[in-house]
Amino acid sequence: MTTNTQALSPSRLAWQSFLKNRTAVVGMAAVMGFFAVALTGLLLTKGEHPILNPREVRLPDKLKPPISTPNREAVPAASLPRLGVYVLGTDELGRDVFARMLEGGFVSLSVGFVAVGIAVAIGLLLGGIAGYYGRSRVGVWRLRLLTVDTVITGLIDVMLSFPSFFLILTVVAVLKPSIWNIMIVIGLTSWEGTARFVRAEILSLREQEFIQAAQAVGVPGYRVILRHLIPNSIAPVLVSATLGIAGAILTESSLSFLGFGVPPPDATWGNILSDGKRYIFDAPWLTLIPGTAVLIVVLAFNLFGEGLREAFNPKLRQG
Amino acid sequence: MFTFLLKALWRKLWTLFFVSIVSFAVIHLAPGSPSQIDPMNPRFTKEQLERYRAAFDLDKPLYIQYTLFYQRLFTGQLRSFKDNQPVLGKILERAWNSLPLFLVETILIWCYAFPLGIAAAIKRNSLFDKVTTVLVFALISIPGFYLAYLGIIFVVENFHVDVIGLRTFGREGVGGFYQLMDRTWHLVLLSVLGATAGIAVLSRYVRSQMLEVIGSDYVRTARSKGVAEDAVLYHHALRNGLLPFVTMLGLLIPGLIGGAVILETIFAWPGIGRLGYEAILSRDYPVVIALNFIAAVLTLIGTLVSDLLYMLVDPRIRL
Repeated sequence: MTTNTQALSPSRLAWQSFLKNRTAVVGMAAVMGFFAVALTGLLLTKGEHPILNPREVRLPDKLKPPISTPNREAVPAASLPRLGVYVLGTDELGRDVFARMLEGGFVSLSVGFVAVGIAVAIGLLLGGIAGYYGRSRVGVWRLRLLTVDTVITGLIDVMLSFPSFFLILTVVAVLKPSIWNIMIVIGLTSWEGTARFVRAEILSLREQEFIQAAQAVGVPGYRVILRHLIPNSIAPVLVSATLGIAGAILTESSLSFLGFGVPPPDATWGNILSDGKRYIFDAPWLTLIPGTAVLIVVLAFNLFGEGLREAFNPKLRQG
Repeated sequence: MFTFLLKALWRKLWTLFFVSIVSFAVIHLAPGSPSQIDPMNPRFTKEQLERYRAAFDLDKPLYIQYTLFYQRLFTGQLRSFKDNQPVLGKILERAWNSLPLFLVETILIWCYAFPLGIAAAIKRNSLFDKVTTVLVFALISIPGFYLAYLGIIFVVENFHVDVIGLRTFGREGVGGFYQLMDRTWHLVLLSVLGATAGIAVLSRYVRSQMLEVIGSDYVRTARSKGVAEDAVLYHHALRNGLLPFVTMLGLLIPGLIGGAVILETIFAWPGIGRLGYEAILSRDYPVVIALNFIAAVLTLIGTLVSDLLYMLVDPRIRL
């Protein structure tokens, strides 16, 4: 047995340690469940005649509590909910909250992934350059006063000094409200952590023998970065990306809540809650359902990411 | 020591310079020039365009616009679009209202985060550790606005006190004690809500930092020498484990200001967060730029102070 454990690769070891952490495994399962729900939600609510229509207005059935039957006399037969009941109730226009939540699930998922994708791409690029080419000097004409590293860490310092939520709010308010702008702005303001990780990781990796060997046989710099350095420093990046998705979903819902998010009639969890807060005492489900959904999804990503972090960090690994 | 101080100041000044550029550029970032009136866009009226021209000198080159803008800001001539009041005065007035909030929040964060994190690290894998881990993650993951509404419902229904605004409307005439209690009630819920995210995040950092230190070689050496467990933990481990948190003093500021935007809006608290939200809503650009800039300056001052403290407490650091 002992020979067997010695032969395990670091990533195998990390994975085994991850599986021992029960909360992290629950988090991972919930993340997968969320994927499934968001993708089915997309299939069920998109298109000309969706199976569950999130935009169907039924004024006779407004503000119905969860699991209530529709008013068959007042609502036309074509508008009745497919499931026979309003599973999660209806909002102030009689729209089916279940269908709206499904539609919003995919919005949250895509905002999380696209925003973090942008952030990770920028972080890898700038962190990689700062780590590998950090000592070379740049400047205007002959005045080569600054090193690449100074420039990039300086940029990170500048971005870190802004209160990012307020900066995002400012930019989103200046631009046209659209889901793409929100993804891009969140991505452009949340790459600093990744860049720092990658830079620190590459600074220590570049002194190791396998990199020197690659350089000795004449592998060009970009190839050393892309093929040797980044794959070896990807673990902390993945961890921070998982946590970043949680943050991006939270930021999007906060923006929607303040009215700067995805414009109506598209439903997101943030704007369902924002519209529902006026009825908080009469129709508390309009606040409780989206709020709890955001909480569960963000919690799942956070637990999953934290489990990965502990598993990949030998100093924190459980004995 | 003195050269370190000068170097740190020099670096901060450069960061400050770029911060001022970014704050200014954010508004000019919208596609097309801001003076182009889109006839379909109700946000830009002719009158607004004139103000915009006067405030930013749009006919001049960008670098002159930039210098003129900051010159006006610092000499107090920059005026808000909304009420023509000096921007600096407006911000100072609102900051005065936010100050007690930030102070109470910071005290709460430090008083709760450290004991929680240290206890969870020492009793790793105990029931206490597991419960606090899940609780802390729930607090990180819950949207601030959702928690705020849950908090409002809870306090209003259980204690029957008013929590919205600075004080209860129309209760000016009552005695000093009642007034004090009234102010306290209004302050307490808001600052507890503002501090939750900070407590959760910081206590996680404290926990993992303590775990790393407890697993390090010198702690093992101390234990194997036969030093009493309490002395190992509180004398050897804690002192070194807490070092990095000196640096987090400055980085708490952006979170507090960003969080204040949502919380102060919900609670109608006339602080700088709400001022920022109002300014964004009414496209009061001088206030928006100035707020982004001032928030970043506060963060820079905070990080400068924590750099200096770090140098004082850790003799190894001589940057």
